[in-house]
Amino acid sequence: MHYFSQSFNYDHSWAHVIIGMWHKYPNPHCSHVVTVDVIDRSVNPVTGLIRTERVLGCKQRAPTWIVKLFGGSEDAFVREISFVDPSTQTTTISSVNLSLSQFATCHEKIVYFPAPGGRTAFHQTAEIQARMMMWRTAADKLENWLAMRFEQNAQLGKVGFTDVLRQLWEEAKEKSPVGTPA
Amino acid sequence: MAHSLEQSCTALKLEYDSCFNSWFEGYLEPAVSASASPETRTKYSKEKADEYERKCGKIWASYRDCVRKAVKEKGLDGLLDQARQENPLKEPPQMPRPS
Repeated sequence: MHYFSQSFNYDHSWAHVIIGMWHKYPNPHCSHVVTVDVIDRSVNPVTGLIRTERVLGCKQRAPTWIVKLFGGSEDAFVREISFVDPSTQTTTISSVNLSLSQFATCHEKIVYFPAPGGRTAFHQTAEIQARMMMWRTAADKLENWLAMRFEQNAQLGKVGFTDVLRQLWEEAKEKSPVGTPA
Repeated sequence: MAHSLEQSCTALKLEYDSCFNSWFEGYLEPAVSASASPETRTKYSKEKADEYERKCGKIWASYRDCVRKAVKEKGLDGLLDQARQENPLKEPPQMPRPS
């Protein structure tokens, strides 16, 4: 199993980060994410909690040996569930791959919560694990490849989202910024 | 905003996303303030959930039908059902917070 984690702060308030979250894609830094669809969403009329289930479509060419061994194609899909809880100012995002899921799983967890100084803490973990029935060498190679890809994408995600937040909240200040209560 | 996985759903998706975002951008910061007491929280949540339904309910229903059909056609429904069985995630999960 491969384990990945990173933590850092965004220089924006929690509300600004969470509003920005829905504007993250398309993103030139994360061009592997090509489609984003909401397949289920609820706004809890008592608690104000918002649950969103999305399917993200990614295009990333897999190495030939992966395609040969496991099939699969350029299109890979991910299921993502997020909870936005205004009462605790916590947002959690859980994702798992749908494609290649019979061979390996990549469980990603993200949490955003307020940090001192009007900033927002971001904490991300991922567990990448090949399913056991596979030939060990292939399982290891697949895990290694997925882990490497995940780490690359995690870095790009940070850079890409930082840009989106800057554009949304700083460069757009002369225009009327979205989400600012009148 | 990114495209839909089904080209013919993209127009509905973009319209729905705009509706949700515009609602959400007005919702979030007051929702944090309204959480000061359970009474104000419940009152605000009810008001805003109704408003969301009123403003975006119709476009959501159209987009949802389009995308759910597309998910099926792309053969993703089986994988999605399996993922939901393994982890329904109906409630927020406990997340580790670095100290």
